[in-house]
Amino acid sequence: MSWKIWSLKKSVWVFHVNTGACNNCDIEIVNLLTPRYDVERLGIKLVGSPRHADALLVTGVVTAQAAPRLREVYRQTSKPCVVFAMGACACHTGIFNGGYHVVGPVDKIIREVDPNAIIAYVPGCPPKPEAMISGVVKALSVL
Amino acid sequence: MNQEELNNRLSEIRDKLINIEQTMDSRIFLLCEAENSFAVSRFLFKDLSLRFVIATGIDSEDCFEILYHFSNDETGCVVTVKAFIRDRENPSIESITPFIPAAEWIEREIHDILGIEIKNHPNMRRLILADDWPEGVYPLRKDFKR
Repeated sequence: MSWKIWSLKKSVWVFHVNTGACNNCDIEIVNLLTPRYDVERLGIKLVGSPRHADALLVTGVVTAQAAPRLREVYRQTSKPCVVFAMGACACHTGIFNGGYHVVGPVDKIIREVDPNAIIAYVPGCPPKPEAMISGVVKALSVL
Repeated sequence: MNQEELNNRLSEIRDKLINIEQTMDSRIFLLCEAENSFAVSRFLFKDLSLRFVIATGIDSEDCFEILYHFSNDETGCVVTVKAFIRDRENPSIESITPFIPAAEWIEREIHDILGIEIKNHPNMRRLILADDWPEGVYPLRKDFKR
């Protein structure tokens, strides 16, 4: 294991990107950070800039307006970077499939920038906080 | 203003309307042509002091409809002005934003996604479509193909 991967897994700093979510997934993410689940005790921390982040937490279908922003945010994160597609919309556009503004899903946009990106999917509408933690654990354990 | 007073006052603008439909006690539809919708909305807002709730744009089979919803908060009655825009090629309607500033964004949104020209709107810029969305393509029209 390279030291980069080791240090990433030690404490994952996360940048949250909303690319057109309905806010339901975002509320569940807030739920992760508040005392009930408190993922900061596991070293998972929300940061304010993609340049500080080890992982991107992407919620929502990618809309036409948000796609260039998501690409830019991914370019600015330090690599290796894990992308978590949170919720049904981010995984496969969900109920918004075929909408006039939808260019997603998230993995398609990320792979345009980096074909070898590490992408983890957490389906659910919204996924439970437990499912999100489980997704992070599973993604990190295969790195 | 109770329900009876409201019904009496609405009869004052009967000549500008096609019809008045009351589906239930708390729901009144005022059907009118697009040319008269400005005067009708102004009457509801200025003279009857009803509260502007929201507007709805619809692409019907043969015309466009814009529904202006007003609420009489004392009784909970919702009065909807249903304006028919018959010209499908160059649909346009008078803006109500000059006397209801709260209608600015919804009129911009209707202009964006249905392509209805809002005349005399003070600030008609793109609101919700993406910056690179092509001009003249209106996603919520029935004939829109993705």
